[in-house]
Amino acid sequence: MIVVNYLAAVALFCLGLYTVLTRRNLLKIVMGMSLMEASTYLFLLSLAYRKGSTAPVLVSPPDGQSPARLANGNVADPVLQNFCLTAIVIGVAVTGVFLAVVVRIAQHYRTLDADRVRDMRG
Amino acid sequence: MSGIPEPSEEEPRHHATVGLLLSAGVAAALIVAVLTLPRADNPLPAIARRAMTVALPEWKTTEPVSEVVYGTRGFDTFGETFLLLAAVVGMGLITRAREPRRGFIGEQVAGRREQHRTDPTPGRGSADQRQAQRAEAGEEGRRSGPASPDDEPLGSPGPERAEAMTVVVRAAVRTVAPLLTMAGLYLVAWGYTPGGGFPAGAVALGVVLLVYVSLGYRRVEPWLRPGVIEPIELAGAVAIVLLGVLGLGLEGSFSANFLPLGPVQTIRSGGVLQVFSVSELIEVATGLVLAVFGLLGMGHDWEPDESRDASGAPAPGGSRDRR
Amino acid sequence: MSHQSLSSLLPLPVVFPLAGAALAPLAVRLSRHALTIVSVLAPLASAAVLVAAAPTVYRGRVLTEYLGNWKPVNGQVLGVTFGVDAWGLTFALVTASIGAILLMFMLSSHAQLGRRELGASACLFLLLDAAVIGGALTADLFNIFVWFEVAALASYALTAFFLERPPALEAAFKLLVLTNVASFLIFIATALLYSEHGALNLGQLHNALVAHTGTADLIALGLLIAGFATKAGLVPFHGWLPDAHTAAPGPVSALFSGLMVNFGIATIGRLVFTVYPRTGTHVLGLLMVLGLVSALGGAIFALLQDDLKRLLAYDTISQMGVLAVGLATASRTGLAGTTYHLVNHALFKSLMFLCAGAIVHATGATNLSDLHGLARRMPWLVGAFTVGAAAIAGIPPLNGYVSLGLIHDALHQSGQPVPYVLMLLAQIVTVAALGKVVLAFLRPQRNPYARDERLRSGMLAALLLLAGSCLTIGIFPEWVLDNLVAPASMALPDASGYAHAVLSGGGRVAAGSVPYRYVNLRELILLPITLALAGPLIWVARRYRDSDVVTRIRSVQTGSVNDYAGYLVIGLLVTVASTALTPLLR
Repeated sequence: MIVVNYLAAVALFCLGLYTVLTRRNLLKIVMGMSLMEASTYLFLLSLAYRKGSTAPVLVSPPDGQSPARLANGNVADPVLQNFCLTAIVIGVAVTGVFLAVVVRIAQHYRTLDADRVRDMRG
Repeated sequence: MSGIPEPSEEEPRHHATVGLLLSAGVAAALIVAVLTLPRADNPLPAIARRAMTVALPEWKTTEPVSEVVYGTRGFDTFGETFLLLAAVVGMGLITRAREPRRGFIGEQVAGRREQHRTDPTPGRGSADQRQAQRAEAGEEGRRSGPASPDDEPLGSPGPERAEAMTVVVRAAVRTVAPLLTMAGLYLVAWGYTPGGGFPAGAVALGVVLLVYVSLGYRRVEPWLRPGVIEPIELAGAVAIVLLGVLGLGLEGSFSANFLPLGPVQTIRSGGVLQVFSVSELIEVATGLVLAVFGLLGMGHDWEPDESRDASGAPAPGGSRDRR
Repeated sequence: MSHQSLSSLLPLPVVFPLAGAALAPLAVRLSRHALTIVSVLAPLASAAVLVAAAPTVYRGRVLTEYLGNWKPVNGQVLGVTFGVDAWGLTFALVTASIGAILLMFMLSSHAQLGRRELGASACLFLLLDAAVIGGALTADLFNIFVWFEVAALASYALTAFFLERPPALEAAFKLLVLTNVASFLIFIATALLYSEHGALNLGQLHNALVAHTGTADLIALGLLIAGFATKAGLVPFHGWLPDAHTAAPGPVSALFSGLMVNFGIATIGRLVFTVYPRTGTHVLGLLMVLGLVSALGGAIFALLQDDLKRLLAYDTISQMGVLAVGLATASRTGLAGTTYHLVNHALFKSLMFLCAGAIVHATGATNLSDLHGLARRMPWLVGAFTVGAAAIAGIPPLNGYVSLGLIHDALHQSGQPVPYVLMLLAQIVTVAALGKVVLAFLRPQRNPYARDERLRSGMLAALLLLAGSCLTIGIFPEWVLDNLVAPASMALPDASGYAHAVLSGGGRVAAGSVPYRYVNLRELILLPITLALAGPLIWVARRYRDSDVVTRIRSVQTGSVNDYAGYLVIGLLVTVASTALTPLLR
């Protein structure tokens, strides 16, 4: 039933996208982007899951298995988890820059309405 | 924007129907894609299995994810280090205070013109801005206030102006902060369990923030001078570069392991992984601290302020940036 | 040097600028000279390593390096691989060497700025340069994503550098939103491909896709093209590009336009030709449509601008469209034209943006109507700018003549009259737009500018180097074609050769030559016609500047970040439909 997770990730992604497309408040746009970001974490971790798998951690394995046996046993995909870690770091970095820019825009334009932050058009 | 009323509470929307249709289109495409994917019962890809088996017999580490992050795909993490550096330096640039400049700079002239077009209101700006500036001025004057609310007489009116929190919070944080620091160091030092430089760096930031909010800015200020912390951050980045170059020099391939691999489940297991992880901790912890305090110390000094230009006095706020 | 030891040096072109970036903010504490030395030497060092690899690579070899010695096991690669063929090396080399020139210009022209802000911007500049080099050299899909993100994060603060300019911040926000959506698309596509095939290495991925291309793979291709087209600034993914260029410092615009957008277009070329098998999708038709719309749309919008840097930015969109059209022809001549034009564009667009940036920096005027008479006040800048404009117009002996000739040849040979005519039309409008700028500089002066200033030596050297390169590679086209462009354009479509080389520690790809005649009667006849038609077009654009039609056309570019994200999503849906819909319905 992991496909439910995939679909939930798609739903979250598109909710975030809808926010970015329709909300005019810059902070809400940032929140929409964060939601899209979070949906990719869910998607990747769900992709990493295998039926009945344990975490890809070899220290103190369950049911008396040896670590070496677990390495060949039923575990979740460590490579996708690595990507997810990378994505989280990127998400933090981007959100930080986003917020700094929004604060500066608020100082200059004295509004957070995307329809009024458009000096450049045409 | 004098002519336009202040934004109302009602949330403005932008082409809601079009947005809905477009989001639905993307949803349709993605649903088709995910429905055709394998679902949780296919075997692990060969390279994932390789990541598991390479971790234990070869790297002598019991933590395959860390092994992939700092070992086999260490070059991605190498790139990520500089991604973080880009974010921290970028945030530093966006939150920076004005620096003295010499001579004529065309962009400043253009900026003045554009700012006037954006916001033709003469004088000191909107009520919001004045309030923000007053608040900032108040923060500057905090140093004359009492050290903590414990020193204020009971029932005194007005907002709390003390720098630190009450004795209860301070005592709790004094107890917790060393424990949290230990936990952070544990995460990075015992590299054969889940953890590593990134989570440890996040914990370190948490400790700094706890101390900041409970004991006050004055306590953390000596540690937070960019003159001190920025070189440490850059040293972390340089260490990661050196680690890779040493791999190239000693083992013939960039970021290859050149250290002896200690026995499994010891602090020395994993060879170069551990060094990479520790360098990452240095970079992440200092970088995050710089970024957060950059945001906190953001002043108001980039908008043209006629009154200041006339009097030549520095703008309120922003002095924290010049520490 | 053996191939083995040469290959092991391949990460260094990325590492040098990254190390330079870490050292730049420290160097500026010592002195400004230390900063200049560190930040110019770092990309020059990468260029030196790449030049050392060049003779081998341009002879048709692919150099492969498994980072950390994590070699493939049974054709499966877990670690990151660098696979350098002539296509990747060309862009890496261009990025490293032009990056050094741009940094020299920036540190020289912005010398009045504060120390710390200068150090930080040099740091970000180097990070962006390194990321583009990394993206060109790597043969790993996830590693491309990492470099994409490094480039993105470095570009945000560079855009917002002049914090006193409100448009700079507005542009940074739009850039953030669009680039971030693009990065999600690339990330999801990478995850889809990984879970379908368990492959990240481009060679391994190619082999898996040849064996089986499923629906998810085709949707992933759509997502990838949309993501990288956003970086390349193709219409309708272009919303960020004009804004980001308008308010950024001149050298930063040059970096974005000359080097960063190449990341997008070069990676699209890599994915379409080297990774995916080319059967069963409409991806070439898609590139043709995106390219033509960008080429024409960008040129028309450029003609309607009054802001100098914004005009050049729209011209970048137009040139990216020309490149996409060149890719879409998929012929030997067309790909050679694309490679040649990418190098040319990096040269002349950097040159023009440096001039435009220096003009804004010295006068404070951003609009053409305020810049009349500049030719007399700043003859060097206007001269260099005119060289760039003439190169884009394809006037021999400059380099644009050769590359445009090749792309036109390819369209002509492929028997597609409609794209050919549209391309000629785009060329006329482009010439009119740039001619408008040069004419404005030549007009008599009306109002005096705030200030003018002498060129510093670093600036002059950068301008001379770039203009000289435009001339040099235009004068010796046969040499450039045979030795640099032909190997690159032959390597790109040799997917199986590249895949084999990347999976087996190096190998050879197809080599050959590209037929080209310098004295091409058709081009030489079309050129005066283009110039003759551009003249009246400038007049028309001036005459009807404020008419209803023009206002309505310009109102498409609404300035609202929601709209730009919407355009991106429309483009995404078109892209995904053209890659995935036909096979799905069949």
